[in-house]
Amino acid sequence: MKKKKNPSTDIADDSQGIRWLRFGYVRPMKLWLAALLLTFGCFLPSFGEEETEARLLASKNVLNQYLVEGKDLTVEYKIYNVGSKVAFNVLLNDNSFPDSSFSIISGNLKVEWERIAPSSNVTHAVILKPLKSGYFNFTSAEISYLTAEDSRERILGYTSFPGEGGIVPQREFDRRFSPHVLDWFVFAFMTLPSLGIPFLLWYSSKSKYDQSKTKKN
Amino acid sequence: MAATGKVLVILGLCLLPILTSADTCLAPQIKSQTYSTPEAIVSTETVLIAEFTLTCKNSLKNINLYADVGGRLIPATKTSEVNKYQISITDDHKKLPAGRYDIRVFDEEGFALLRKAQRSGESTDSIKPLFVLNLNHSGIWNGPIVQTEFVAALAAILIWWLAYTARSKLLA
Amino acid sequence: MAGGKQNKLSREEELLLQDFSRNVSTKSSALFYGNALIVSAIPMWLFWRIHQMDLYQSAIVFILGTFISTYLVAYAYRNVKFILKHKIALKREDAVAKEMMKKLADDKKMTKKEKDERVLWKKNEVADYEATTFSIFYNNALYLVLLIVASFFLLKNFNPVVNYSFSVGSAAGLLALFSTSSKV
Repeated sequence: MKKKKNPSTDIADDSQGIRWLRFGYVRPMKLWLAALLLTFGCFLPSFGEEETEARLLASKNVLNQYLVEGKDLTVEYKIYNVGSKVAFNVLLNDNSFPDSSFSIISGNLKVEWERIAPSSNVTHAVILKPLKSGYFNFTSAEISYLTAEDSRERILGYTSFPGEGGIVPQREFDRRFSPHVLDWFVFAFMTLPSLGIPFLLWYSSKSKYDQSKTKKN
Repeated sequence: MAATGKVLVILGLCLLPILTSADTCLAPQIKSQTYSTPEAIVSTETVLIAEFTLTCKNSLKNINLYADVGGRLIPATKTSEVNKYQISITDDHKKLPAGRYDIRVFDEEGFALLRKAQRSGESTDSIKPLFVLNLNHSGIWNGPIVQTEFVAALAAILIWWLAYTARSKLLA
Repeated sequence: MAGGKQNKLSREEELLLQDFSRNVSTKSSALFYGNALIVSAIPMWLFWRIHQMDLYQSAIVFILGTFISTYLVAYAYRNVKFILKHKIALKREDAVAKEMMKKLADDKKMTKKEKDERVLWKKNEVADYEATTFSIFYNNALYLVLLIVASFFLLKNFNPVVNYSFSVGSAAGLLALFSTSSKV
């Protein structure tokens, strides 16, 4: 091959791996500009998401120490707006508690908030009463909201889920935690003759023949 | 031209209260239900719930309401029923002791005034709420103070000890 | 003493023999076993109501426990009574003697020996009676303490059947053990 004086093609044909050198050598400015534009372009959409969108995170928690059949069950929902814009028309709907297994004592399972401000949160609580004992899987509730007041598309999401919990039957719970005052009283009443009668008999005999009495005589 | 302009402005200003009154609830009627956590086993935090149905004379529906409970400003949650709201407060047992809680409910306007007063450090007591709900929290029951088994055991030990001293005297 | 009564022991000797043996009369025995049974049956109530043990399901365990406990408690009664009897006899000696002498003072028909015998017998009877009743009282009290402590504090978290067997067993067992000690 004839060696040309043109520096751009000087090392071109030596190996394919360094063919790019030619391009870089000839138009470094254009490449650098393109790279800059590309990186900036990558950031553009994410900037938009962080700065102009509302984003809700919702948690659902069961606040009970023990889940007992017939005793209140407290469910707490917390919705955080981690975005930087207001979330509109926030709907929280919890369908995971069938009527046959739970009755509502206080609160509502389907609620809405007109708006949730950025970097703020709202709390919602519902009190239920389990009607049956056994294992129950606490699943997520649904949440939907609008990112702008006039937006037509609702953003759907789910709350966190507390997982499976065992609802203790009332009998078991009573056994462990009830004070059983009445039972103890009956017990005391039953032991009274066993203790009282021997004691009285002994005491009457004792006082009759006690040493100190002889001193009287 | 200037004169008609001025008349229009004055007319507008006069009409303004009438127009805005459409947003304020007149003669609010409340039907409410409250709940507060009865015992510690049931909840690791104290939960206060106030549900109420609002009826306005001017038949407003689902207006935005806000509540002020002991300094906490929270929006009232709307339920799936019209004009029915719920206010839920959850916090540590220690931060929500037993007692009477006054829930002052404000509409949009009142709430704006409230926040302004709060920001400028003024007292918020002077701002009149739409209505006030009373919630009585009778306190959390943490379980019996003394276990019955303990009492029974003590009584039994006492009786035994008396018997023991009597026996010691006999054997002495 | 054995003078003309080789085959028949004098009442004195009989009483002495009775004193030193741990055997009790049938009347006493019946009393002991009866009381022991009552005391051993009481825990069943506790376990049925408070530990929620089913009566029918655990019937065998209950019955077995009650009988073993009855035997051990009765054993404890006997031992404690034996230990106490002498001490009580010593204490009540004078008072009983005085009372008996006063009672028999006007009876001229009886010989001194007979009177002495009567006094001795009375002393024995009083001591026996007091020792029996006190033994029952003391042992019942101790049994209940041991049972309550074992069942509600030591074995609290165990399966109810295990709880019952061990608390009744250990309460009765310890009772029997303590009764054999001659500690003053």
